[in-house]
Amino acid sequence: MKDWIKWLPLIAALAAVPWLTNAYMVSLLLTCLMYVALAVSWVMFSGPSRYLSLATTAFFGIGAYCTAWGLGHLPWPLLLLGGALAAAGTAALVGLFVLKLRGSYFAVLTFGLSELALHVINQTERSISGTVGRVLLNPPEQDAIYLAVLALALAAIACCAWLWRGPLGHALRGIGADEDRAATLGVNPLRVKLAGFALAAAFAGAVGAAMAGRWTYIDPHTVFNPLIGFQTVLIVMVGGASRIQGAVIGAVIFSLLSEFLRMRFPYFYLVLLGLLLILSVLYLPNGLIALLPRKKAAAHG
Amino acid sequence: MLRNSICIAASLLGLAASTAALADEAVRIGYAIARTGPFAGGAQVSQEPNYLLWAEQVNAKGGLMVAGKQRKVELIGYDDRSDTETVVRTYEKLMNQDKVDLVLPPWGTGQTFAVATLANKLGYPMIAPTASSKKLTDMKLPFVFTILQQPDQMMNALADMLVAQGVKTVAVVHVDDLFGLENVDALSKALASHNIGLLDKKSYPLGVKDLSPVLKAMKEKNPDAFLGITYPPDTILVSKQAREIGFNPKIFYAAVGTAFPLYKAQLTGNTEGVMGMGSWNAKTGAAAKDYFAAHIAKFQKEPDRWASAHAYASLQILQQAVEKVGLDRARIRDAIAGGEFQTILGPIKFKDGMNASIPGTVSQWQKGEFEVVWPKTRATATLVSPKPAWN
Amino acid sequence: MTFTLFLDLLAAGLITGGIYAIVAIGLNLQYGLMRVMNIAHGEFLMLGAYLTYVLHTTLGLNPLATLPIAMAALFLVGLLVHRLVLRRLVHSSPNIDVFEARGLVASFGLMFVVQNLALMVWGADLRGYTYLAEPLQLGGVIMPHNRLLVFAVVVVLSAGLIAVLRFTLIGKAIRAMMQAPLGAQLVGIDTARLHPWCFGAGLALAGVAGALLSMVYEISPGMGEPYTITALIVITLGGYGSIVGSLAAGLLLGLVETFGMHFTSPSLKMVLSYAVFIGVLMFKPKGLFAK
Repeated sequence: MKDWIKWLPLIAALAAVPWLTNAYMVSLLLTCLMYVALAVSWVMFSGPSRYLSLATTAFFGIGAYCTAWGLGHLPWPLLLLGGALAAAGTAALVGLFVLKLRGSYFAVLTFGLSELALHVINQTERSISGTVGRVLLNPPEQDAIYLAVLALALAAIACCAWLWRGPLGHALRGIGADEDRAATLGVNPLRVKLAGFALAAAFAGAVGAAMAGRWTYIDPHTVFNPLIGFQTVLIVMVGGASRIQGAVIGAVIFSLLSEFLRMRFPYFYLVLLGLLLILSVLYLPNGLIALLPRKKAAAHG
Repeated sequence: MLRNSICIAASLLGLAASTAALADEAVRIGYAIARTGPFAGGAQVSQEPNYLLWAEQVNAKGGLMVAGKQRKVELIGYDDRSDTETVVRTYEKLMNQDKVDLVLPPWGTGQTFAVATLANKLGYPMIAPTASSKKLTDMKLPFVFTILQQPDQMMNALADMLVAQGVKTVAVVHVDDLFGLENVDALSKALASHNIGLLDKKSYPLGVKDLSPVLKAMKEKNPDAFLGITYPPDTILVSKQAREIGFNPKIFYAAVGTAFPLYKAQLTGNTEGVMGMGSWNAKTGAAAKDYFAAHIAKFQKEPDRWASAHAYASLQILQQAVEKVGLDRARIRDAIAGGEFQTILGPIKFKDGMNASIPGTVSQWQKGEFEVVWPKTRATATLVSPKPAWN
Repeated sequence: MTFTLFLDLLAAGLITGGIYAIVAIGLNLQYGLMRVMNIAHGEFLMLGAYLTYVLHTTLGLNPLATLPIAMAALFLVGLLVHRLVLRRLVHSSPNIDVFEARGLVASFGLMFVVQNLALMVWGADLRGYTYLAEPLQLGGVIMPHNRLLVFAVVVVLSAGLIAVLRFTLIGKAIRAMMQAPLGAQLVGIDTARLHPWCFGAGLALAGVAGALLSMVYEISPGMGEPYTITALIVITLGGYGSIVGSLAAGLLLGLVETFGMHFTSPSLKMVLSYAVFIGVLMFKPKGLFAK
């Protein structure tokens, strides 16, 4: 349990970043932290249960719209909470239906849900305000956003570790291994899946609510960007889905590497990034996590 | 582990900064623009080619005259992936980390929005050539200027032209994003004030692939004019499909992309009389003619007859402002806000951050050229109405 | 609603649906058979479109004549990708789920590489040519020849494919593999030897689809992505591994869109399609044609 104490200096250093460096370094780290939070929230549920979800985009977008709608009426920290609750509520509601499906059917269905959410919000906005897109006047300062996302990333890691150790984590792993067998062993699969799915969604929603403050102008196509959901899955797979560290390392390396390549090779960085992805899956099939020394037998498989 | 990555990132960025410093004395001008993703099509037709062309021309003449000294221009351009977070982060890098001398805007209304407050806060003047939104101009950011005509200007000009042609009824389709909705809003108001009847109004989503059922229904209602607030692929789609079903109202207008050379290529022999958003062509003036020729010489393709020239003119304005006051960005801003500049589109000055010299315009394809036909002060040819039948 | 209008919408819906179907069938050959969720499918479609565009505009080849060329070229690309990437993944993956996850990452990589190579070669501009754009009028229904041609080719190809799968020996082996990969192996079908051919065939269909689309729409390096997404939806709706299912689901989606657009608003097109998709899966969780 004393494990986390050795991370305190790193956390303190990260929290001090806005005062030590320039705005670009902060925003670069912010991108890393955003994907750390999203990837950890994804792996929290999808890692043990093996339900490959592409709904991250939907939750992120719903969170972002909470900020877009609420900013100016409610204090921003409350909107983060609102984004988390709205995303978790949506997850619990749609989860009742979609969590019955398995494998790729579930993956494609959750993708469809993200697209549906985009178009529903688009239509709602049009019928309410006659236009799409919202201008955020008086958005929070960048440093506040950075600290909020840092807190969310840390909270996601802590929550994931707690979840995986507890009975819910065991139940999710049981479902991932053999859902029918888990059901006969006294697990209520739907209830367990709903809880996990909603918890993961809450973090994605809060991250969306936090990030929206950065973009002066919000419209459905920018916040329900399918790239966010796909990139999250990609990061976890490149990092390794069996341990939390995999998601964290994947998010940091992927964000920094794509930024570095984009700056260094502005015309063909995506070709390089693509080749690196292919090479990584060929030569590091178990993810970047396999490069780390395996200190203690991770109980999560 | 995170600390390591910070170090790695820091050293990488340091590397980038030091290579930039090597280009001694050059005026460093940074930007991010869509080279990939959904915005790339527009950005690579109307905007980035003009940045490259201008820099090449300035350097060929010895450089930019800064405080009595000629200095070369060095463009630092990145891909923004058509992604909002990426564009914000890249401008933060350009302004905070690389500390470039000047920045140029990204492509499109949404991306301009995302960086406008940042540029304004850090005091970088920015003249946006492809941003068209009341929401943006209403923010009245002192450092942000728009040089393209705004929705109400374009739509008022369109409505005035319709009145002059005796149009009584119209049918409208529009894309349901910010651009489409703001324009259609301005259009509806203008039509109502002129008592022009709106027989049908349909919206469609981005990336639509078939609008023939909608067009057929409009044909049944027999309006005097068809008005499409459309993007390039949909502009071509509605034109082709209107031709297929023989929908040929007196006025046929489709917004963005009619001004593209691609439109002529795709509608082979069927462009005659089609109207759209355009503001200039090589006949606009001697400078416009030279620009037209230089664009073809460098890129082996014609510039589009709307935003391209505005993009190039924005650079001319920036250049003249720098040559007048040097590289002090606050003074450049004041010079842009207060001065009048000679450009390929004629003299331009700004009022409330908007282009006050070029009114809303309507252009029309005539004999293979996209001619400005409205208002008369900007016209390069006389308007032809009614539109001849499709071939 | 008049009968002519009904016919009109029916024709428009079938043509749109036919395009969805042909793109989806190609993806289903890859996914249904060897569980490669090829996110780069639309990028290969884009390659087919550019191939036709280049052959038509530089060599003056008739676009119709380029169909077999696009098919063959993309088939070879498929064999190459299989040889360089997928074959290794099959060998290094402990089970099919792991293979599927790794295949997804690899195909993402392919998507980035192929799309951006095209961008470097051709630039981001929209491009296009005109081919058979004259309309045909038939009992009040008006359709341009090129759309009709697209539909005809789609019908011929999918009927041919279904016939091959149903009546030939190799077709039966492939169907056995789609239904039960392990069982197929037990009855002596060498699944590993069929994989490259099926992957190649999937890309060949993407190539043809791209070539056909270039006759009707403008092309750009990013044109493939929406088709990949539609194809994913269609094969899920029709059921993985079912070619007939993909054909039916593609046509269904096309009809829903066209009729929906007419009776509501084109803006609601996407809401309708996704609502139908999600609704169907609620009741048939393995797709319309699940066995």
